[in-house]
Amino acid sequence: MISMEMANFPFLTVLLLTNLVALLVIMFIPPERDKLIKQVSLFFAGITVVISLYLYVTYDTSKGGLQFVERYLWIKSLGVHYFVGADGINLPMLLLTSVVLFTGVLTMWELETRVKEFFAFMYLLVIGVYGVFMSFDLFFIFVWYDVALFPMYPLIVIWGSTRKEYGGMKLTLYLLAGSALILPAILYLWTKSGLNTFDLIALHNAGFTKHVQIIAFIMLYLGFGILAGVWPFHTWSPVGHVAAPTAVSMIHAGVLMKLGAYGILRVGMFLCPEGLQYWAQLMALLATIGIVYGAFIGLAQNDLKYVVGYSSVSHMGIVGLGLATMSVGGLNGAVFQMFSHGVMTALFFSSIGYIYDKTHTKMIDELGGLSKIMPVASAFFIIAALCGVGVPCLSSFWAEILVFIAAVKAYPVRGILAICGIVITSLFMLRVVMKTFYGPKNEKYAHIPDVPLFLATPRIILAGILLLFGLFPRLILDVIQSAVIPFVGGF
Amino acid sequence: MFVKDPILLACTITVVLPFLSFLTIICYTRKWEKVSCSISIGAILISLICAIYLFIASRHFAEPLQYKLPWIISGKTIIPFGFLVDHLSMLMLVIVAVIASLVQIYSLGYMAGDPGFSRYYAFQSLFAWAMMTMTVAPSMIQFYIFWELVGLASYLLIGFYYEKWSASQAGKKAFVVTRIGDVGMFIGLVILLLFYGNLSIVGVNSAAVAKQIPAPLITISAILIFCGVIGKSAQFPLLTWLPDAMEGPTPVSALLHSATMVAAGVYMFARLFPFFSGSADALQFALLIGTITMVLSSTMAMVARDIKQVWAYSTVSQLGYMVMALGAGGYVSGMFHLTTHAGFKALLFLCSGVFIHHYHTNDFFVMSRQGARSLKVPMVCMTIGALALSGVFPFSGFFSKESIMVALASHPNKIWLAAGLFGEVLTAYYTFRLIFVMLFPKEMEETHHEEEHHEGEGILYWLMGWPLIILASVTCVLGFFEKQFEHYLLGDYILAHGVEHGAEAAHAGGHWLTITAISLVAIGVAVAWLEYGRKGASQEGFLSRMPAIEKLFARRWYMDHFYRWALDMIIYSGFTNIFTRNDRRVIDGGIDGLCRGTEGSGRIASFLQSNMVQYNIFVMVAILGFVALSFLG
Repeated sequence: MISMEMANFPFLTVLLLTNLVALLVIMFIPPERDKLIKQVSLFFAGITVVISLYLYVTYDTSKGGLQFVERYLWIKSLGVHYFVGADGINLPMLLLTSVVLFTGVLTMWELETRVKEFFAFMYLLVIGVYGVFMSFDLFFIFVWYDVALFPMYPLIVIWGSTRKEYGGMKLTLYLLAGSALILPAILYLWTKSGLNTFDLIALHNAGFTKHVQIIAFIMLYLGFGILAGVWPFHTWSPVGHVAAPTAVSMIHAGVLMKLGAYGILRVGMFLCPEGLQYWAQLMALLATIGIVYGAFIGLAQNDLKYVVGYSSVSHMGIVGLGLATMSVGGLNGAVFQMFSHGVMTALFFSSIGYIYDKTHTKMIDELGGLSKIMPVASAFFIIAALCGVGVPCLSSFWAEILVFIAAVKAYPVRGILAICGIVITSLFMLRVVMKTFYGPKNEKYAHIPDVPLFLATPRIILAGILLLFGLFPRLILDVIQSAVIPFVGGF
Repeated sequence: MFVKDPILLACTITVVLPFLSFLTIICYTRKWEKVSCSISIGAILISLICAIYLFIASRHFAEPLQYKLPWIISGKTIIPFGFLVDHLSMLMLVIVAVIASLVQIYSLGYMAGDPGFSRYYAFQSLFAWAMMTMTVAPSMIQFYIFWELVGLASYLLIGFYYEKWSASQAGKKAFVVTRIGDVGMFIGLVILLLFYGNLSIVGVNSAAVAKQIPAPLITISAILIFCGVIGKSAQFPLLTWLPDAMEGPTPVSALLHSATMVAAGVYMFARLFPFFSGSADALQFALLIGTITMVLSSTMAMVARDIKQVWAYSTVSQLGYMVMALGAGGYVSGMFHLTTHAGFKALLFLCSGVFIHHYHTNDFFVMSRQGARSLKVPMVCMTIGALALSGVFPFSGFFSKESIMVALASHPNKIWLAAGLFGEVLTAYYTFRLIFVMLFPKEMEETHHEEEHHEGEGILYWLMGWPLIILASVTCVLGFFEKQFEHYLLGDYILAHGVEHGAEAAHAGGHWLTITAISLVAIGVAVAWLEYGRKGASQEGFLSRMPAIEKLFARRWYMDHFYRWALDMIIYSGFTNIFTRNDRRVIDGGIDGLCRGTEGSGRIASFLQSNMVQYNIFVMVAILGFVALSFLG
């Protein structure tokens, strides 16, 4: 039984409403005052950072369970509740969302086309993301999930680049296909429980038969897995990354893909533990293929964003592998990896954004020697790449090590294969770093100034987070673990 | 807590200061070169003082002292961070601190005026931090973490001149190749963790391991962990990264290839020596690898023309000796050779650095023609280093090699001893080939270097000079402290394990061995003298009469070619290509096909909406008819 502690003050609702208010305020500002729009966006993003940080810090890990809970009946006939809460699994995700939003707004500071619409859509997207992360009601999870998916299409098609129509369309179709699997699964569970409720905790205790769990789990796994970039449903993600504008790539790779993994964890694994056991072998297999496959393809890419896109496939494979182990260590590692991968890719795309803005290319062959021209801007990309390689003292390392230990125990052969995959990861990451930043100075770009301090802020924040949790992993791991131990106890 | 326990305080200071210095330099003081280098050198000197204090304080320890703080708690897995103070770790800590400080001081001269001066010192601090924290690690996980960080720091240092493609290539190669070994090591450690339950070094070395883990599994995990040694210490077949790593600045080569990065592998072998001795097969494997490495790299050194390459190959071959010694059970001799090698190899590199800095070339034939022997101090110091390297009495290398030979002689299979002795000839030959060429140039070019001395270079040369003198004097006297060294190192080892290895006991009966070794060295030197030293020598090695073999050696036994080929065939045109095509054609193609199919079927279905009422009614009636029939049936 999961302990629940009602909130004294509705922090989570306030967090959600902050974004809604931001959206409304932006809507009422005349479009030509784009400076003001950016300032307002930044202001509200700052508030969300403060709130989520406050929640993160004040969450009592010794008590564990759900805290800051608000639960109201919404639709009685269907058993829909407005039920939000925070535990060790979604708190890091909320923090991640707010950090990526804040740094994303900062990264888009030099945006000039249709500023108002851009930030409005971005806030709409983020409302959905926050909603999924904090809800404990299946109905709301699904609604927020679709709210988060829809704005991606205009954001990519209007502000994107490289094959944006194709990328946007592909992404939308894939993700809607995912929804089309999730909705029937949710309804199936709702009918089979006979409780007439969408409350996640109640459904968890409903005790579905094994048969039901097996069917529901695979649908939920595939549905959410598409968003998490599970092999072989990953191809939308690199294409989408490449097409999307910088901040959207950041949110997309940094947060949206986590939504998928979070869905598998929170809905699939939580409601159908026996289904998980039935399908775990498959999950581990797909995850391992993803890790190795993504790394190999990353080696052949010539576009910076494609490289990061395929590295995401590989890194999200590690999350999947961690989930499939069904052990405390594996889940700890998986959630930690979700967080650090989010920060890392945000840092990647933020850095690429600056490079692309100034050089108007993201093809590796056309760049080269950038370290000489913009040492600071390059340094941040290199930090992200080192994090991707899994260098100690950057947070990904801990996540990977935890997942790998658990994986070798649960699935020796696949675990060892996945570990071997990191050699390929280091090969392709360092190849990109070398070709883009090292080598003789490229005279074509010699006039470009290094990134000014203000524009570097988002990268400083992101790199600082990677380093902080890399040096002091317990700051996040203790929080995650407080939720993971009871979670695994349910298997 | 800190005040009460000076040892903990000293450990913390030693380990933390270089890291703080790294952060400070990289974040704040990059613009001020003088501040950066003072911070870095100050930090490493304080660390050195603490390390020496710890070395002295720990000399009477009977039991290793451990401090641990749980850094990560994840389920049952606890990853601690802390310090293990025992004789081996303190010895290594002092070696590392000494070499790192000398190299940093030397770099003041060598790197002066370089645009990346501050960055250089930041990376040096990072490296020192990683290396020293690794040295004192109480658990294998911490060891592995800092082992990886050492790899990172060396990647940054080797690729320091990032504007040169070759340098950044070399950095990448070093990182990736050592990583291959690290993956093996990590898997080995995970196996150990899963079967034994924790990875504390004291625990892994204890006799309890053999009881809990079945013997074949010990062998497997020991060999996997040894893969880490193969990568880091550049053993066969992963030795190809090390010669390339010479692309870094010369002081970096001195640092990486004397006492630190490459010695880390041997240090780990020594650190887990009791564990490795639990499996005779693993030791045999190590012996084999060490021997192959030693012979291969000696042959490569015989034909190299680049001064740094010669020392690089000699490093690889000396590491091979250390691994052989440990593989044959000679714990003390392996560590003793590591210690003496740290001194004389750093000396050789730093001396070469002076020549390279002065003549702007790496080819020692060219240097010699331009009058290298006129630089008195480095030339004398380099000769001392070379004498030690080839094992001439009374320099330190003589004693340590002697003790390795004794260890090999005690092994039942004498083939290893034969290989070791053969290696002595090769070492003496290639070392003195270089020395004689430098000392006795065939023809002299007109030199005009004397005028090129700039103002203020005097102080720089002085800064670069005195680390040489310190190292040279250490090299001269260190050998005589063999007994003390053995006492210090074995103090705890004997107490903890109660067994004295045969290698050390057999020391007395080895007079014939000493004589053989000395005469073999003499043969090597004599051949070098005949070919390169004596008046009117052709300065062409006997190998030049065998072009096929010379080419084989010069091309590093085609190992690089093989790896390049394997990388291209298996990774780039193999997996990468297949997977990429699969992604484009099969997965994406399938999805795009599905989209087109949907569109097409929609188009076909749209013909049904033909706006012709009679067809619609006809279809309706037909369908209703079918339904009615099926109900009737």
